[in-house]
Amino acid sequence: MNKTSTLKTESSFLKGLKDGIPVALGYIPISLACGIATSKAGLSFFMSQFMSMLIYSGAGQAAATNLIRGGETAIVMYALTLFVTNCRYILLSMSLAQRLDPSMNSLQRTMIGIFNTDEVFGVAMKEKGDIKASYFFGLATLPYIAFAFGNALGSFTTDLLPASLSSALGIMIYAMFIAIIIPPAKESKPILIVLLVALALSIVLECIPVVKSHLTPGWIVIICAVTTASICAVIFPVEYEEKKEEL
Amino acid sequence: MSAQHLIYISLAMCAVMVIMRTAPMLFMKNKVKNKFLQSFLAYIPCAVLTSMAFPEVFSSTSNIWSASAGALAAIALAYFNQGLIVVTLSSTAVVFIVEQLMNLVK
Repeated sequence: MNKTSTLKTESSFLKGLKDGIPVALGYIPISLACGIATSKAGLSFFMSQFMSMLIYSGAGQAAATNLIRGGETAIVMYALTLFVTNCRYILLSMSLAQRLDPSMNSLQRTMIGIFNTDEVFGVAMKEKGDIKASYFFGLATLPYIAFAFGNALGSFTTDLLPASLSSALGIMIYAMFIAIIIPPAKESKPILIVLLVALALSIVLECIPVVKSHLTPGWIVIICAVTTASICAVIFPVEYEEKKEEL
Repeated sequence: MSAQHLIYISLAMCAVMVIMRTAPMLFMKNKVKNKFLQSFLAYIPCAVLTSMAFPEVFSSTSNIWSASAGALAAIALAYFNQGLIVVTLSSTAVVFIVEQLMNLVK
């Protein structure tokens, strides 16, 4: 590898690290909440930390905590609940796979998959052109550390955090989603329509009592996203091939 | 529940998670040719993020007013192309300030 390409790798890793900072900050309140919840459910500090570092998903951990509190012992039930609440990762990974640098090997792809969370995905997709492995690893590093750190802090301090602060921190992750979706919607009409359809559908589904009582939020997100993306894919097919040649 | 059982649960959940996240990476190495699927995958991120953000953002803090103020601040700043850090921290600050003000009024 010559000097310039090493430099490039290094700088894209650093750029990734930097882009990962807001994600990492956003994860602290989530994992803090997870840590508090698992320790309240009776898990030891060590066990809570073990679980948090293996199940790298706030929704997955919340689901696990619920089942533990309910006294569920069947492992299948835990696996199934995780699958349902986090089904969207299949979609996210499929989508991300399309954007990865084609020269990546299977090990790199596997590692990227493991650390592909909603927010990391959202930030990675903002990259122009193919996503490099070094960029993704930079991006994924701090959020994972922050997730583990927040959980440790949560299970250690349980309810020391003032209520006013933890309430304000609750909006962080959503503000981040908003920051990711608005700028591309301004530039592209199809994306704006995707946003508006998903918004309307999500609000409508959440407001129908029958839906709300029968489906978990995880399912509502899946239904909403698949429906919206399908409708918009039929109405506004993208022209990837031509774009490629322009680049 | 025994610690051993909790370890098994964690491992099982970890396995499901890893399979869900990595299988598409490994089995979809070739770029998709199908136009519908291409478009679908291009629109999925925005659709997923939007449906996760709304309407949940309005119930993400201790009351709907502070949450709405925070959401509006985030939308406005994002509209004017502010970065992730600015948007998230400002929105959090707005929620905090609004809640403090509401406490004062009470």
